[in-house]
Amino acid sequence: MSMAEAQTVLQVENLSISYKVNGGWIRAVRGFQVEVRAGQIYGIVGESGSGKSTAASGVLRYLAANGRTELESRVTFLGEDLLAKSRREMQPVWGAQIGTVPQNPAAALNPSIRVGEQVAEILRRHRGLSRQDALDRTVEMFRRVRLADAEGIVARYPHELSGGMQQRVVIAMALIASPQLLILDEPTTNLDVTTEAIILDLVRELIRDEQAGALYVTHNLGVIAQLCERVIVMYAGEIMEDARVEDLFVHPLHPYTIGLLNSVPRLGQTKRDAGLISIPGTPPSLAELPQGCVYAPRCPLAIEICKTKPPLEAPMPGRLVRCHRWPEIARGEVSVIGREEKAVSPLAAGDLERERLLTVENLTKHFPIRRSLVQALRREQPAPVRAVDGVNLNIQQGRTLGLVGESGSGKTSLARLIVGLLDRTAGTIDLLGVEIEGSVRQRSREILSELQMVFQNPQNSLNPYLTVGQAIRRPLMKLAGMNRRQADREVQRLLEAVSLRAEYAQRYPGELSGGEKQRVAIARAFASNPALIVCDEAVSALDVSVQSAVLNLLAELQQGLDTSYLFISHDLAVVAYLADYIAVMYLGQLYEVGYGRDLFLPPLHPYTEALVASIPKMDPQDHTQPVRLSGEIPSPRHMPGGCRFHTRCPHKLGEICEVEEPPWRGAGGEHYIRCHREPDDLTGLQQWLLDEERE
Amino acid sequence: MFKQLSRAPGRIARPVWVGLAGAGGVLRELMRSPQSALGTLIVLFFLMLALFGPQIAPYRANDQSSAPRLEPGGEHLFGTDYLGRDVFSRVILGASSIFRTAGFGTLIAVVIGTFVGLFIGYQGGTVDEIAGRVIDALLAMPALLIALVILGIVRNLNFEPGSWQARLADNSVLLVIALVYVPIVARVVRSSTLEIKTREFIEAAQMRGESRLYIIFREIFPSVVPALVVEASLRFSYAIFLVASLGFLGVAARPPSPDWGLMVNENRGGLYDLTPWALEYPAAAIALLVVGVNLMSDGIRRAVQKSG
Repeated sequence: MSMAEAQTVLQVENLSISYKVNGGWIRAVRGFQVEVRAGQIYGIVGESGSGKSTAASGVLRYLAANGRTELESRVTFLGEDLLAKSRREMQPVWGAQIGTVPQNPAAALNPSIRVGEQVAEILRRHRGLSRQDALDRTVEMFRRVRLADAEGIVARYPHELSGGMQQRVVIAMALIASPQLLILDEPTTNLDVTTEAIILDLVRELIRDEQAGALYVTHNLGVIAQLCERVIVMYAGEIMEDARVEDLFVHPLHPYTIGLLNSVPRLGQTKRDAGLISIPGTPPSLAELPQGCVYAPRCPLAIEICKTKPPLEAPMPGRLVRCHRWPEIARGEVSVIGREEKAVSPLAAGDLERERLLTVENLTKHFPIRRSLVQALRREQPAPVRAVDGVNLNIQQGRTLGLVGESGSGKTSLARLIVGLLDRTAGTIDLLGVEIEGSVRQRSREILSELQMVFQNPQNSLNPYLTVGQAIRRPLMKLAGMNRRQADREVQRLLEAVSLRAEYAQRYPGELSGGEKQRVAIARAFASNPALIVCDEAVSALDVSVQSAVLNLLAELQQGLDTSYLFISHDLAVVAYLADYIAVMYLGQLYEVGYGRDLFLPPLHPYTEALVASIPKMDPQDHTQPVRLSGEIPSPRHMPGGCRFHTRCPHKLGEICEVEEPPWRGAGGEHYIRCHREPDDLTGLQQWLLDEERE
Repeated sequence: MFKQLSRAPGRIARPVWVGLAGAGGVLRELMRSPQSALGTLIVLFFLMLALFGPQIAPYRANDQSSAPRLEPGGEHLFGTDYLGRDVFSRVILGASSIFRTAGFGTLIAVVIGTFVGLFIGYQGGTVDEIAGRVIDALLAMPALLIALVILGIVRNLNFEPGSWQARLADNSVLLVIALVYVPIVARVVRSSTLEIKTREFIEAAQMRGESRLYIIFREIFPSVVPALVVEASLRFSYAIFLVASLGFLGVAARPPSPDWGLMVNENRGGLYDLTPWALEYPAAAIALLVVGVNLMSDGIRRAVQKSG
């Protein structure tokens, strides 16, 4: 056996998987192939419905009850044919030889068994260890995944752990029996960037130490760039491209890969520079795949030959691409970017200032906690959850205020206070010089029509039993006071404005894709011609290729209608793209505000710095080890004193941070931070860290 | 990775009641599986008897034209009972009362239960807390026991014939069924409502200043319908069982009406040895109808789940 052969852990050839849906077979994955070597992290990237997760489950033989693997498929794991094995024979493989880390750790852990017990059970079952030995090994493994207080955590139940800690337990569980292969399916998608960064560091380190092979499924190209050695790009169930990560990011050969790379906003890119390049259309239905190349209907380079199926070719050793026109793309003879998306009108920084539309002062929301019996007897009042704690901000006419922060920082509560879906505890909201009431029930029709919202989940923001036309017509009649005929005409105009055909008015939300639903939700929000639209994670649920088109749409509509946005997202690059001003929120308070570009390049406040550092960079060459935030965001019930960030701050000064609330400090222009350190001091610290890194 | 691909992306998914629009759609969906098709046919068969009983039955319910205790066969397909009444005709004519009582009782329960469930579910807070406890208390008592107690009291009250109280008393079984099923329906509707009211389209409606009634009926109610349809068909099958039980216990229909439960009761004991057919045929009718309705409601549940 040669060295190369000995290193191959997993060899998949011609893997095809079908699902039985409504009596017919849908071929969700066709001709998938991969070869994973020991110590190698192989990424699989694609949008929803691309078959990336299905392919990974197929390797594991872990398909849903309506799925089957086609006969011609081969899966060889350590020289053994996995597809020939019975379920019973697969059990030792599942338990000990292949570890899996699913997207949702809460669902992967049994809620009624202590986590230590669950992990130790694998060793007892597959390695025959005694109870005590297994538990000792578990504690050791928990230390390796950097769970603080490993001895204490083994005795906890899953619900007592945060999402990040649960995911570490699941990773420990996957690695405890020293498997030769690890399959990770979007393990960080539900986590905050700060936690994600730490988990990614951990995965990288553990794979290197264990010398296991890994398949890493994700939709996030940044994660691929930072973590993987090789990557497969999937689309509509087929491999589009397979390459070393460096090659893929520098010289992508497939038009789909190029489209994906272009549609992700980079940090620092703004709507004033250029529009985002998006991929037109939506992925095809697997039930009605296009003849020939599956990507051809959306491909800007599609020509006559693309109506025939392109083979998976190898332009050079170690590289695969499925496109008829790769030689032309490789030689640079054709460009995928058909037309430049136009940017919204550029402005000098000084021109940004406009009249104030909305002013929020000392806005506060405390959620009371129910008293326990003991507390009631002692006549104690438990501390409330301080979701939003004295926020001051203003939004200008026709401008976008971006709001960023980890989950639990109070962003959504703040948005809901402004639109009136939550009653405020204290503070004032001033719209165009008029103070407005707290709750939607008390607000007049005029106020309601000025403040609208686009919600996060397109699935839930439209009533499935009302047609698109009915959904948009209602605010027109209710808030804009139109009659039925005028409203119907206006529906057509609004649909056109969000680039949907007029016949969509008759459709039900179930017939639309996620991106189309979000366009309808945007049309509905614009129906009453509001002065301010709050977008709460409005593009987070969308695939990148669709997300960029929706971002362009939002920027265009804003310029045309002079509407203001409060744009909330956990994705800093997206916020930075759309926002003119940005506010950074942590535990119910703002810690940094300023012009969009100033805020991130470079970030000043230690919290902003950590947020920026946590974003997986889209550049595989960038291997700087930036600052990481230790620990989790504290509970807003037990608020840290002084500066709320002091528990996790990498640049903590000392006792003053724990006791005294930090003051607002100007950092030039309209840029302010709330920190005990001077802005210059912070810049110096970052420089010092960078220098240390280089040495 | 373990998510199930139940539906291909992009497949057209119309809401259930659009997909199943009209009785025709429901019927087509029910005919897909043999069990629910059989159940539906049984129910339709009895429904036909209930509607056209007087035209189909060869004799009137209380005709005593023939000799008593005739064995089944010949002119009297199911024989005659101890009074010489045609059992075949009495079984046919009994279908209408059971459909009327169980059907309208269920309908009233569904209508009232839906209103109550939607309202307390949407309102939440103290209203929900109190109503929830009342519902729990009502659910803690067996339906048959409540029915027996109420009907027992009503039977001993004497109202002036023709007065509204008397008419109410005549329909007491129907009303009792409605009463015992209101809390059950309300609870199902309430839990659906609680789930739906957290969706963002409800908040979008609140942000346009929609009234409570509009949100409850236009935005929430359609999403409750699938669960409601399933619950209503289930309630109907239990109601048939309850009506038959009450008839058997002698608190529903009074002799000589051709009520199936009552017929079973009248012909048990010593009479069973003389005219077993007078008990067996109405008993078989009850069993067949209950099985039929159950199979059908099972089919309805599957049809709704599939489209939902």
